[in-house]
Amino acid sequence: MKITEQDLKNISLLSKIKIDEETSDSLVKDLESILTMVNKMDELDTSKINPLTHPIDNTQNLREDIEKKDIEREKLQELSKEKDSGFYLTPKVIE
Amino acid sequence: MSELINLSLTDQILGLGDKAFSSKEITGAYLNEIKKKESLNCFISVFEEESEEKALIADENIAKNKARPLEGIPIAHKDIFCIKDKKTTCGSKMLSNFISPYSSEVFSKLDTAGAITLGKTNMDEFAMGSSNETSFYGNVLNPINEKLSPGGSSGGSAAAVRANLCSFATATDTGGSIRQPASFCGVTGIKPTYGRVSRWGMIAFASSLDQAGIIAKNAKDAAIALKYMSGFDQKDSTSLNEEVKDLQKEVDADQEHVIGIPKGLIENIKNDQVRDSFKNAISILEKDGAKIEEINLPHIEYSLPAYYVIAPAECSANLARYDGIRFGHRSESVSSLEDLYVNSRTEGFGKEVKNRIFIGTFCLSAGYYDAFYNKALKIRNLIKSDFDEAFKKVSSIAMPTCSNSSFELGSISDPVEMYEQDIYTIPANLAGLPALSIPSGTADEMPIGLQLIGNYLEEGRILNLANKFQKLTDFHEFK
Repeated sequence: MKITEQDLKNISLLSKIKIDEETSDSLVKDLESILTMVNKMDELDTSKINPLTHPIDNTQNLREDIEKKDIEREKLQELSKEKDSGFYLTPKVIE
Repeated sequence: MSELINLSLTDQILGLGDKAFSSKEITGAYLNEIKKKESLNCFISVFEEESEEKALIADENIAKNKARPLEGIPIAHKDIFCIKDKKTTCGSKMLSNFISPYSSEVFSKLDTAGAITLGKTNMDEFAMGSSNETSFYGNVLNPINEKLSPGGSSGGSAAAVRANLCSFATATDTGGSIRQPASFCGVTGIKPTYGRVSRWGMIAFASSLDQAGIIAKNAKDAAIALKYMSGFDQKDSTSLNEEVKDLQKEVDADQEHVIGIPKGLIENIKNDQVRDSFKNAISILEKDGAKIEEINLPHIEYSLPAYYVIAPAECSANLARYDGIRFGHRSESVSSLEDLYVNSRTEGFGKEVKNRIFIGTFCLSAGYYDAFYNKALKIRNLIKSDFDEAFKKVSSIAMPTCSNSSFELGSISDPVEMYEQDIYTIPANLAGLPALSIPSGTADEMPIGLQLIGNYLEEGRILNLANKFQKLTDFHEFK
């Protein structure tokens, strides 16, 4: 399977990761070799098979709807470099 | 006191109980050894003072006959498990400044059982790698031959157990990250059933495949450690609300075994030494009374391609949270919000993690979703059904853990060649089944493992079979 320049641009845009021009050739080579390996899946006819998203057939556990205070906002926000009055700060989005 | 670090967990528990030695002595001995073997690079953090303090408390508890099950036992945690107020890096630059505001359930359970955390072990970045070379903190060396890889991603945990730097270590396994390093370092590693051990506070890679487990010196030790780590946790929505069996009892019980060998498996093992050692291991178990049956796993050869769609897809979604805003690496060179996202992620992630995010993003993008992701999920169903059918007539399934012994660091650069390291281990993750690796021989003078896969929640049964094997052989002894 071929990865085009447009594919690379899309992947970079969607994943929010820059693709360095110097390494893009080796990246294309890596991605193509992974996708070639993955293409082996095409040998199987799976038209009548249901997808399995989860290995265990288990209903999601829901806890009792009781108020809990196990998350401390201040403690969590200590992890951020930029915050103010309980808000996280980012560069301006509206001029 | 160096002989204390050579003891198994089982003997350490007995010795502490009999007051033959103290937790202070054993903890001190491990801390010395960790310093002495610093060049192996097994640890990302070591908690020296805190361990010494906890050892004193443990000794007091033992003196007052108030010892908890793992009182005073020094252990290590893979640096993927959050510990409150401690750095949890997941082997990544992205989290090199992350001080966890809460503790993982795995840590809390073992801490409550009395274990002492010596430190946190090195690993491939975000658990993505099979050689430990993707760690931001540099690779771990294999203690048996330092030119070789300890395996990955739990290479730090496997090498730490092998080098006698802790009694046992926690680890995680998404596609073989406990079993492959256990095989490379000649130790015992078990990945339990998906949902058996809580994922709360364990940094996510591929959530439907990730499972925490244990790396230990032998099956008996692994059974004890796993027993205290397992159980239902309301904080993990995929946790299994099932009774925790007494694995410590089951590992030594008198059980009968029917071992399934997949049709065509033996002929397809390319490495002669791996094939011979596998046949030898099976014949040892057969002579001991186990029945051997041929089974069919017709779709198993599609495990690797299906896995390398599902795992990267889940990885790309899970790792979207690293945006530079709330926690993790935040780029300094930023003039817009887009820059903040892109620069933080581009600077914070290493090459392998980026590759997997790219693959996952590609497979989930418009036009490719059905051809890749949905197709892989359908194949996952076929693989699970194959196992369900096989377990109707056998109690465990045997395979090699890996198709080779450890390789030289830096010798594999092709990603697909590296991914093929997990060819025998991935099927158990796709199906969510428990699986373990025990040392079963050597290839090129390095250890190789025998893999035993069990039916759902039958960790005890494969540990029992592994224990039988270890009673009959000495491959697991450190020489």
